[in-house]
Amino acid sequence: MSEAQVTAKTAVGDFSIWVDQYGDYLFKYAVFRLRDSAAAEDVVQETFLAALRGYERFQGRGSERTWLVGILKHKITDHYRKITREAPLGQGEEDEGPEHAEFFTRSDGWDNHWNNNYAPTEWHATPDQLVEQSDFWRVFHDCLAPLPPRTATAFTFREVDGLKSEEICEILGVSTNNLWVMLHRARLHLRNCLEMKWFKLSAGTRQK
Amino acid sequence: MKIALYEKAKHAVRFWLLRRLPACKETVEIVSQSFERQLSLRERITVKLHFWICVWCQWYMEHLRLLRQTLRAKSTETSDMDSSLSPGLSIDARERIKRRLSSGE
Repeated sequence: MSEAQVTAKTAVGDFSIWVDQYGDYLFKYAVFRLRDSAAAEDVVQETFLAALRGYERFQGRGSERTWLVGILKHKITDHYRKITREAPLGQGEEDEGPEHAEFFTRSDGWDNHWNNNYAPTEWHATPDQLVEQSDFWRVFHDCLAPLPPRTATAFTFREVDGLKSEEICEILGVSTNNLWVMLHRARLHLRNCLEMKWFKLSAGTRQK
Repeated sequence: MKIALYEKAKHAVRFWLLRRLPACKETVEIVSQSFERQLSLRERITVKLHFWICVWCQWYMEHLRLLRQTLRAKSTETSDMDSSLSPGLSIDARERIKRRLSSGE
């Protein structure tokens, strides 16, 4: 995009077209990671404002949406950094998530091994299939909801965005050991929840 | 006869291992950490042996792997992100953002 075009775009103030063009996408991207519509609206607004201010630097290199998503990612981590600053980790009494001791409680002398009621079953699914099924994502979010916010956030940063451990620890203000406990609890809980609410039900009906 | 004896011996070895290896509760914790760091040789061996006698923990590992692959695929998927989950930016928010943008700040 030439300099004249950039100026023209700024002059007519058609940045609001962006809101119609990319607003929904950015909003859904944010909701998936923040699990809170009001907070998602805020970070999307901040993203557009930052984009407006930094448009000259962008100058049409690459796709606008990719550029906007890049800004949005920063706004999302900033959002969590702010939460961490305002509410630092408590001393020891932090809730990292359900321990689910019942998964490994047995009455036959094999304590600490899987209780038959909670033992994993075989799943028949591939990532490609799951990504396409919107019902699966509804169940996924229902399963994520009962986790403490910090634990759910650690999980999405790690598993969805693939952030490095050190980065997540810094954003959320937790130690590496803390993070591992949070991730383990999140996985333990989610795996079971998805099995109960999706994979066991889908075995007969959805999978062909 | 020979096969029956072999099966019996295999069962005995499994039982012996099951009593001596870390239990499932501890194993799934190590399995979870295997997604975060390089396991020690000792840990890798215990997990391998545990998998040999316990299909449940083996499935647990497979499920974590499937979840990670699915979520990473989801994060880069560009089209049709969860219209079921959230309908998109509300009209109010849309208008508010547009006003902020056109007011220049």
